[in-house]
Order: sequence, then C-alpha cells, then structure tokens
Amino acid sequence: MLPTPYVKCDYEKVYEPAEDSFLLLDSLEKDQLYLSERFNNTLSVVCELGPGSGIITTFMMQNTMPTNNSIYFALDINPWALEATTDTAIRNSCEKSYLETIQSNLTSSIRNNEIDILVFNPPYVPAETIPDIPMDKNDIDTWLDLALVGGEDGMKITQLVLDQLDSILSINGVAYILFCARNKPENIVKLMKNQWSIELVEHRKAGWEVLSVYRFSRKSL
Amino acid sequence: MKFLTTNFLKCSVQACDTSNDNFPLSYDGSKCQLEQDESIEFNPEFLVNILDRVEWSAILQVAADLGNTSLPPNKPIFEDKNSLNEDDMAILRDLHILLIQTSIVEGEMKCKNCGHTYYIKNSIPNLLLPPHLA
Ligand SMILES: C[S@@+](CC[C@H](N)C(=O)[O-])C[C@H]1O[C@@H](n2cnc3c(N)ncnc32)[C@H](O)[C@@H]1O
Ligand SMILES: [Zn+2]
Repeated sequence: MLPTPYVKCDYEKVYEPAEDSFLLLDSLEKDQLYLSERFNNTLSVVCELGPGSGIITTFMMQNTMPTNNSIYFALDINPWALEATTDTAIRNSCEKSYLETIQSNLTSSIRNNEIDILVFNPPYVPAETIPDIPMDKNDIDTWLDLALVGGEDGMKITQLVLDQLDSILSINGVAYILFCARNKPENIVKLMKNQWSIELVEHRKAGWEVLSVYRFSRKSL
Repeated sequence: MKFLTTNFLKCSVQACDTSNDNFPLSYDGSKCQLEQDESIEFNPEFLVNILDRVEWSAILQVAADLGNTSLPPNKPIFEDKNSLNEDDMAILRDLHILLIQTSIVEGEMKCKNCGHTYYIKNSIPNLLLPPHLA
C-alpha cells in the first residue's frame, strides 16, 4: 500500500474526499508500474480536473507518479479548491514538486494535445440542472453543488471532457475518469471503443452506488 | 505561477482555438510582479526533459514581455543527456532559475487574438471566462 495524503480542509468549501476519491487513488496505485514504463525518460504533464481538496494530485506527487520527471497542473473552477490543493501538497511535504493550481473551466485554458495523464473525479450525480459558475467566491453552497451535480445522467460535465479527449491528450496520453453506475459507463465504452482503447481499472460498491474508474488511451496504430 | 506554466496556457475562448494567436498569452510586464521561489531543487535531467518539450519561441516572447531579452534565439540542445559538460550545466542552471524559480505572483495577460485580459492573483492564474464569453 502506498502512503495516502493527510488531508485537512474546510469541507464547507471544498469536496471532502470520499469513496470515489479513494477508488481513483487505488486505480493509480494499481497502474503505477504501467504509468512509469509508459512515460519513462520524458517529461510528463499530469493534469487533474477538479482537484477539490487536492488529495489525488498530492498522492501522485508523493509517489512520484508517473516518474520524477513530472509537472502537475490542478485545474478547478472553485477558487477554494485551488487554495486547498496547495495546502494539502505542503501538508504532505510536496513543496519540491512542480505544482501549478489554475482556475479554469475544464481544460479550456491548456494548449491542445499537451496532457499526458488526465485524472478526473467529476461531478457525476444526476440532477435536472447544473448551477452557473458563481461570480462571488463566497457563494460556497454553489461551489459545493458544482462539485456534485452532473446534469442529465450525471454525464453533462464528463461528456464534455470525453468529447474533447482527442484534442486534450498528447499522442501517448491516458485519462483516468470515474463513473457511477447511473452514468451508464458501459454505453459510453460501446460508443467510444472504435476510436479508443478503454480499460476498467477498478470498480467497487460504495453504499448503494457502484463506482468505476476507466482508463482511456488512443488505439495503437 | 511559474514561468514554465506560460508555455502551456492558452486563451480559454473556444473561438480562439482556430487562431495561432491564442498562445502564448501576452504578459503585461509593467503589471507583473515577479518573485524567486527556491523550493524546487535543480535537477539537470528534469530540465533537459522540459527543454525537449517546450516551445522555445513562446519562452522568448514571454521573457521579452517580462523584460528579459538575453535568452539565446535558438533552443539549447544537448547531444547526450547522460554526459553533460560544465557549459551545459551552466545553461541548465540559468534555465532552472528562469523557468522554475521565477514566478509571477501578481499580474495580467491578454489573448493576442480576442484581447481578453486574464489576471494572476496570489500566484494563481484565473482563466475562467465571464458568462457572456463562456
Ligand atoms: C467530485 S469532486 C472531486 C474532488 C477531488 N478530486 C476528490 O476526488 O476528492 C469534483 C470537483 O470538480 C470541480 N469541478 C466541477 N466542475 C468543474 C469544471 N467545469 N471545471 C473544473 N473543475 C470542475 C469541483 O469544483 C470539484 O472540486
Ligand atoms: Zn482569445
């Protein structure tokens, strides 16, 4: 078992690590060797979407994933999450890693085809609507809603990322994305499997939810 | 925000993706406040790998925006990353200071295509768009 970050944040402002966060940590741990071999001897650009408390990015820095030649971008819409991510990194002695926190709507601010490892524990709970991004940092209830709700089938936000995956990932890039059963991930796999190589890395029952993490990469030519 | 990050940031406006002017953003030197942060240690191998990856012309542009015009016009290349000589090390050390230790703690930058201005506050760049542009 790899060490897990110690996290202490204000959970009125950022998402508290839960079963979904831990399933992603387990998935990355399981793939540690795969990743270190895939990205051996080059710079790796790691990008986490929606880091929240920063638990996942900190875990990757702590365990030098994929290699010690990595830079880490943590992109969230929630300004509190960016502060929390920096705090969590420091609390776990990761100040020697290259970490940048960026306030951004998904990957819209990052150049195309530059991300080698994309990690996303998205807002995936089905809901009728998704609130607008607040203009006010102190609108903390809305920030927390945005951490959870994913619109129709809980797929609204995740689908945006999947639709752009080809322009987000580098040639050799991989994405780790978490789904709950109500997102109907099997349907997504069916629709995408002609173009993408998709692996179920981990799945687990968490309360009444079944969570799963899939890994997406380009089909080798 | 560390200097190297400017090599990855583009304008968030989707319509600017079809232009070549959405990267690098244009930094306002008179409004950017720089600080040196020494927490990341010098690691020559890391720097060589970073150099392999960066777009040098964008490094030159941003450096010039911030008042540094002393960089070599062409990206330094290292024949063999496993046997770096003293000159190589000196170049890499300088680049470490520029790319990794130099950070913009407060500042602003603009898209050269649409002119939208983004801000950096407390070292955190904000690339969110206002609702009418999103
Ligand atoms: C389920 S939480 C995951 C938090 C953390 N990664 C974890 O696993 O504990 C989802 C995160 O995504 C962020 N988020 C929601 N919509 C986003 C968007 N459009 N762009 C970037 N981040 C977003 C939220 O602010 C929240 O921090
Ligand atoms: Zn623009």
